[in-house]
Amino acid sequence: MSAKPKAVQKPALAHLFWWFMFSQGGLFAAVLLPVHIVVQGILGPLGIVPVVDRHYDTWISILGNPIVKLYLLVLISLPFFHFAHRLRYLLVDLGVPAAKTVPAQAGFYGAAVVVTLLTIYVLFTTAPISLG
Amino acid sequence: MSAETETSSRVATRTYKPAMPAGWWLRKGHYFWYMVREFTALPLALWLLWLLYEIQRAGRGPSGYYPPSSTPFVVFSVICLLFALYHSITFLRLAGVILHFKVMDKPVPSGLVVASQFGAWLVASIVIGAVLIGFGR
Amino acid sequence: MAEKRITVRATRFDPAKDSEPRLQSYDIPFSDDSMVVLDALNYIKSHVDGSLSYRWSCRMGICGSCGMTVNGTPKLTCSAFLRDYWPGSITITPLNNFPIVRDLVVDMEDFMEKLKSIKPWIIRKQEMPLGAGEHRQTMEQIDDFRQFSQCINCMLCYAACPVYGLDDKFLGPAAIALARRYNLDSRDQGTKERLPVIAHSDGVWECSFVGECSVVCPKGVDPAKAIQQTKLDTSVRFILPYGNRE
Repeated sequence: MSAKPKAVQKPALAHLFWWFMFSQGGLFAAVLLPVHIVVQGILGPLGIVPVVDRHYDTWISILGNPIVKLYLLVLISLPFFHFAHRLRYLLVDLGVPAAKTVPAQAGFYGAAVVVTLLTIYVLFTTAPISLG
Repeated sequence: MSAETETSSRVATRTYKPAMPAGWWLRKGHYFWYMVREFTALPLALWLLWLLYEIQRAGRGPSGYYPPSSTPFVVFSVICLLFALYHSITFLRLAGVILHFKVMDKPVPSGLVVASQFGAWLVASIVIGAVLIGFGR
Repeated sequence: MAEKRITVRATRFDPAKDSEPRLQSYDIPFSDDSMVVLDALNYIKSHVDGSLSYRWSCRMGICGSCGMTVNGTPKLTCSAFLRDYWPGSITITPLNNFPIVRDLVVDMEDFMEKLKSIKPWIIRKQEMPLGAGEHRQTMEQIDDFRQFSQCINCMLCYAACPVYGLDDKFLGPAAIALARRYNLDSRDQGTKERLPVIAHSDGVWECSFVGECSVVCPKGVDPAKAIQQTKLDTSVRFILPYGNRE
């Protein structure tokens, strides 16, 4: 049983921040992701409808649009803060208390930061910014 | 003055604390579906990593580019879609529990909040779908 | 017609003799359709085995003493009817996630400490003199917190909470729901005093919204809602500029 030394307790601002990122990422994943999977993952590959990524020229020109770049950054990176949080607590739930430790937090949320940086890099290097 | 000393002075004998069984989440349907909800993160993460790879692939030039069309990929997307829908439905419904506003000093009913969340999801899906398909050829 | 009977298995644990709890089976008459699980325990104690230990008091779902695990679900035994289980048998074990003191009695100390830590009373920066009269509230102001004020401290939500079961440092459902009850009260000015406890790393953030606390609550309190709303309000408080002022 936990002894509770009632020393000074402080609001955990790091937890607050990661929870906030978790909730925002979850919201964006919930609202944006299913339609991408339906169109780009199912309808396009089955040839049911034309989709932007089916032809190189259309795909690369739309990837050059700065608004599309910004949108894709939000679509891909924010949900990873949600995933990192959920998977960390999934491990806790499966009986791995080590997932609560600071190194584990650094690992999981750090991975989300890495994905964000990687996404920025890919979006900038893939297609030159163009308004066409 | 800690809880420990207080307890031991009043309860003279030792207590027995059963450990949480590793399979606790299999004991109840509710726990199981909670774990499924948490697990949705993994397939969704994989699908987004695929999308990132797809974008990166386009940067290698037109010669080697081929659009994704293999059956395993479609199967993978269908599985991810099931998890994505489960995530969307649970997340937007739970958001209706969390979000609380007042309009003209009256709390907005949570049913209305949930309905507006699902409405926003529908509108976003139509707009994004229209762009993805409309600009395709 | 033969007398109806029901099999009741109850946890027995004598800390002086037993190394771990065991189940003991009792076959008792199910004489009246209005019998509840607590009546079955009282029958056993009066007629079969006087050494069986368990807590109870009011028999009407108000005192919150008789919470136990009935066939795997945390219940107030005074409100769980035998007719809902018969002809099946009933297994009564102590509330999950708490140390067992004896038989069906658990150690409540940890919960009591947590309850105290969130200061579940109205805090004023400056007490008004009695002569100044009452703190008046509108019906709408009462509606803001009424739901969360129904808690009877029965601890069923703690027994249902896997987060607390996995790590009992977690502040837990009822304590956070009660903290919210006072934070939402227009007469209260103590939000800032409770903030360090509820927003602590063992506070609201540890909840992963399983939601079972709200399912088992016999009073319809919905602690899961209280916790998620507290997370959102606390985030907004710190993330919006000037949100942290009081």
